[in-house]
Amino acid sequence: MDIEWYLVLSALLFATGFLGVMIRRNPVVILLCLELMLSAGALALLAFSRMLGNQDAQVFVLIVLVVAACEVVVGLGLVVAMYRRRLPLDVDEVKELKG
Amino acid sequence: MSFDAPTIDYAGLSPVIALTVGLVVIVLAAVFDSVRRFGPALALLTYAVTAGCLIWQWNANLDLVSGSLRIDGLAVTLSLLAVIAAAVAVLLAIGDPSETQAGRSDWLALLTGSLLGMVILAQATSMLTFFVGLELLSIPLYALCGTNLRRRESLESGLKYLIVGSVGSATLLYGLAMIYGASGATGFQAISDGLQAGDGMLSDSLTLVGVGMVAVGLAFKVSIAPFHQWTPDVYQGAPTPVTAFMAVATKAAAFAVFIRFFLVALGPLADQWDVMLAALAALSIVVGNVGALAQTSLKRMLGYSGVAQAGYMLAGIVTATQAGVDALVFYLAAYVAMNVAAFAVVVIRERQNGFSDDISTLRGLGREKPLLAWPLTIAMLALAGLPPTAGFIGKLYLIEALVDDDWTWLAVMIAIGTMISLGYYLRVVATLWMSPAGQAEAGAEIDTASLPPQIAGAQADPFEDSRADRRWYLVAPALIATAAALFFGVIPQPLVDFAQHAGDALSVWIS
Amino acid sequence: MTATWAWLVLLFPLLGSLTIGATFKVLPERTAGLIGISAIVAAFVCGILALIGLQGEPSESRHVASSLWEYANVGGLKIDLGIYVDPLSIFMVLVVTGVSSLIHIYSYSYMESDQGYHRFFSYLNFFVFSMLVLVLAGNFIMLIVGWALVGFASYALISYWYRRNTATKAGMKAFVINVVGDIGLYIAAILIFKNLGSVDYGTVFERAPEVFTTNEWEIVAICLCLLVGAFAKSAQMPFHTWLADAMEGPTPVSSLIHAATMVTAGVYLIARCHSLFELAPTAADVAAWVGLATLLIAGTIAIAVTDLKRIIAYSTMSQIGYMFVGVSIGAYSAGMFHLMTHAFFKALLFMAAGSFISAMANMQDIDKMKGFRKAMPFTAAMFIIGALALSGFPGTSGWFSKDEIIDFAHFRGGMYDWMWVGMLIGAFMTAIYSFRIIFRILPGPPCEEAEYLEQHGHVIHGEPKNPATGELEDTEVGYPGEEHHIAEQAGGMKFAMAVLGVLALIGGLLQIPGVDDVITKFLEPTFENSVFAHMHPSTEDSWIGLGEGALISIAGIATAWLLYIKRPDLPVKFRQRFSAIYTLCVNKWYGDEIVDFLIVNPVKAFGRFCNRIFERFAIDGATTGVAGLTRSAGAAVRDLQSGLLRGYAVLMLFGILAIAVYFLIRSI
Repeated sequence: MDIEWYLVLSALLFATGFLGVMIRRNPVVILLCLELMLSAGALALLAFSRMLGNQDAQVFVLIVLVVAACEVVVGLGLVVAMYRRRLPLDVDEVKELKG
Repeated sequence: MSFDAPTIDYAGLSPVIALTVGLVVIVLAAVFDSVRRFGPALALLTYAVTAGCLIWQWNANLDLVSGSLRIDGLAVTLSLLAVIAAAVAVLLAIGDPSETQAGRSDWLALLTGSLLGMVILAQATSMLTFFVGLELLSIPLYALCGTNLRRRESLESGLKYLIVGSVGSATLLYGLAMIYGASGATGFQAISDGLQAGDGMLSDSLTLVGVGMVAVGLAFKVSIAPFHQWTPDVYQGAPTPVTAFMAVATKAAAFAVFIRFFLVALGPLADQWDVMLAALAALSIVVGNVGALAQTSLKRMLGYSGVAQAGYMLAGIVTATQAGVDALVFYLAAYVAMNVAAFAVVVIRERQNGFSDDISTLRGLGREKPLLAWPLTIAMLALAGLPPTAGFIGKLYLIEALVDDDWTWLAVMIAIGTMISLGYYLRVVATLWMSPAGQAEAGAEIDTASLPPQIAGAQADPFEDSRADRRWYLVAPALIATAAALFFGVIPQPLVDFAQHAGDALSVWIS
Repeated sequence: MTATWAWLVLLFPLLGSLTIGATFKVLPERTAGLIGISAIVAAFVCGILALIGLQGEPSESRHVASSLWEYANVGGLKIDLGIYVDPLSIFMVLVVTGVSSLIHIYSYSYMESDQGYHRFFSYLNFFVFSMLVLVLAGNFIMLIVGWALVGFASYALISYWYRRNTATKAGMKAFVINVVGDIGLYIAAILIFKNLGSVDYGTVFERAPEVFTTNEWEIVAICLCLLVGAFAKSAQMPFHTWLADAMEGPTPVSSLIHAATMVTAGVYLIARCHSLFELAPTAADVAAWVGLATLLIAGTIAIAVTDLKRIIAYSTMSQIGYMFVGVSIGAYSAGMFHLMTHAFFKALLFMAAGSFISAMANMQDIDKMKGFRKAMPFTAAMFIIGALALSGFPGTSGWFSKDEIIDFAHFRGGMYDWMWVGMLIGAFMTAIYSFRIIFRILPGPPCEEAEYLEQHGHVIHGEPKNPATGELEDTEVGYPGEEHHIAEQAGGMKFAMAVLGVLALIGGLLQIPGVDDVITKFLEPTFENSVFAHMHPSTEDSWIGLGEGALISIAGIATAWLLYIKRPDLPVKFRQRFSAIYTLCVNKWYGDEIVDFLIVNPVKAFGRFCNRIFERFAIDGATTGVAGLTRSAGAAVRDLQSGLLRGYAVLMLFGILAIAVYFLIRSI
């Protein structure tokens, strides 16, 4: 099978993730979109790894998955903290800092 | 059954080991109430041991852990800068609301974790350690930004930093994947070899887009325009000790890997990426400097100024010469001194002023508290690059390296940026010295309306500390950093040797 | 040993400035003043000791380079914290420290009731230090450092009364224009390093003739860049507009910085770099023509304006124009000689003017002054001496120095004959405007203030008003003080003026053509490799020139007498008849307006244009010039910084796409 298919899929995943960050307003959904972007990178790594026939990148992907999980944990922690302070869970409302 | 374990040079790995052990101890200390208050001392001890290990390994020049880390001049010097910044952050955080609310040990553990990420990042020589180091640096920082739970800005900055930073990380990862695909390797040296061996890989669109995305990811971390937008917001919203740490240490570590990745792994492509980096540097200089002009928040202004300074530093990579790297490291070291001095004063003033970092609250400080006003004055002059400060020498070296390598237009951009920057740096100095103390109260009253509500409120802040300017752990960093900024401006040679030690480590790869 | 003394010359003013600055809370005011004075006097003494040391050397090795330590060494550029002592720099050191000592003594009394006594002396000492760094610098980088520090000191002192809007504005204007000059110097230094591989004076001047052929474009470019710096600092056209406004500073500042020392730095620069300028005669001619144009235009303005200090300021520009012509056409020692005598008489004129202005309770308009002859006999006498020297009256110092420059132009002939004629016309105008002041303010029935002074023995205390705008001043800080000081009643002022008066009268005797030629002989080692070193008019020609100068000066004084005493209706008629010319002069040839029109307004318009695009967000809009543009850009940057996370993501996407597209295009 051609590697292009995998690359196109991963590019689509990346674009979808980015689009999600740009258009969604709920921070939790944005976190999901970030996961999507990281997964896109992981998919590309895996595809290349298969193509090249070496295993370096497969280890890399495992680590990426762990890192992605950590990121979400911190992100959700912040969301919870905001929720407890009765702050709106809408990134468009979070704009005290600007200018 | 037996197998060949990878040889590990424990001496070379000692800084990482020391930090890891320290991190574990700090986390454990959180469990016991009785030792919790020794947290800062523990953290400082850890950093001291780490610094000791780094200095022990000063002349080391070897690959560690099967070539995924490398300890050499570049790693040692820039790790040292990060360690110094972390130690300052620990001191500045004593009694800070963020540290207290987050639980002291947790705060310190996050800080130490982030520092560990930086030390790994400075030594990284493979994509894997590169990415792990970068994330280990970033994720605790996201949390640290949000630690001042009662301030809405703090949470906001944490969330913004997290989202923007993760987009940066994802972009970086994607770029790395492409470079991996093009070169078939993850080690920096192997990438370089692979790119050169592959047929037409040096101008392949896959490689180049990968390079571009890696550059974007790193640009996020060092706040290069147009990927800088988180910087002012986060600098302003984050607790000031965190901002101080972030401003200085992140730059040191991220520039270390920036140098290593672009000059070692992507060295053969230098002709392809230099124009792009030059354009980014120029854009940062312009955007950072003009953005800082009309700011009223000192931290926000320093954020924009950080964008401009990152632009100056990036110019050192553009040249892809050792002179450029030397200049960059020198500038980074000077930048540490100037920023520490400035942020220490901001921390002190914030505690005395109901946590307002409005520039107008500095009025008349020169007359009332010259011991606070002088460090800030010198920090501003040094950031502006006026002699006789280390900032001046740093700019001189950068311009020199650029002109030598025929990047005169970029050198001119630095000069123009410097001129614009006088507009806001000198404004701070003027506010400090020119206005009499009598006006301070009047000014503060008027400004109340524009302050965030929780500050304008009449309630006394439990973390306010009118004697903050007498606390040694706040004043000492300011004074020492100021002295360093001045000393290395007059006698720069020791710092020049320091920077050259970093540059020498790369002498195999660059001219 | 010489070098040690020279380092001490630098050390004392720096120490003085730091001591006064650091102890302003502790020391009584008078002590601060005394520290300031003694620091400068000590520097002067060290300067003399350095001179003695230098004269002990044989004339071919009469230069010492000394370095404290290596400041930076990068990319082959080696910068020493080094000084270069030779007759030229020692000459400047002596002029600077000598005149500064006297002006410090003058200020000790003059500033007595000022609220910021410590600040003033700290700044003033700092200025002297910076000026000495400029003069003693051993390489172009040190020169730039000194150059920039002097600019800063001048800014601080012009804006010294910082509650005055006009003063802070004038300070900024001076600073900005000076920074433009600094950039010229930066570029020159970079070009010098690129072409010659060094920035050390010794190496550069030695190597330049080997590397460059005469009038090669690169050396011309270097010299033109140096000239930008020189023009800006010395207020030559088209960078002259700041000097008149700089008169907002206290009188001792005008006297020290804007007459005697700082503004002559450009002259020093050309003399210092003479071996470069001789390789680029085109650039030297540019300097000479600009000097000539400035001296003529400033002369006409000085005849028209009525503000006492501004007249003297325009006269300063005009006299510096003479020096520029002098050092550019090869009359180095004459140029430096005029620099010295000018320092004497111009400082004296400013001091006397300061006295008059005090007596008028800060009024500066000469139309309102009258009959001070009896009320202030000492000041009047000193002013007359200064004016005589300025107009080149036979026997005075100005007569010898100015006519030496004029002669040299005639001696070189050709195109320079035109300069000769121009300078003679300038000399005539000089005599007119100098004596216009005298005939306006000394004779005749005393005005109200003069009468009051005569009868009561002390000066009128006017309202604390800003003389420029008439606004009432904030008297708490940044205000000259209630008490006004005049030379008649203050020992320090009297002493300083008397010494300068004597020097202005007899200073010229140092260099009588064919008799002693002290200055020429003293400076000879510096200029010995110059092509003009052994070219000078014969003694007879010199005396003929002096004779012409004397005639013109007396004719000018007579004309002034005719215009302002005998037939005071004539100027009025002239004004009506040639109102266009008069308006032109009184408006300073529209210098400010031209700069506004050519530079400030277009930039402003562009700034406004940018602003309109972002009108929805822009805050207050453009103010002036470049600032407007940068502010608009700043507003744009801040508007993009909307605080909206999703907006940031969009901008990031644009950034990523731009980079990706760039690389995709490259890879094709």
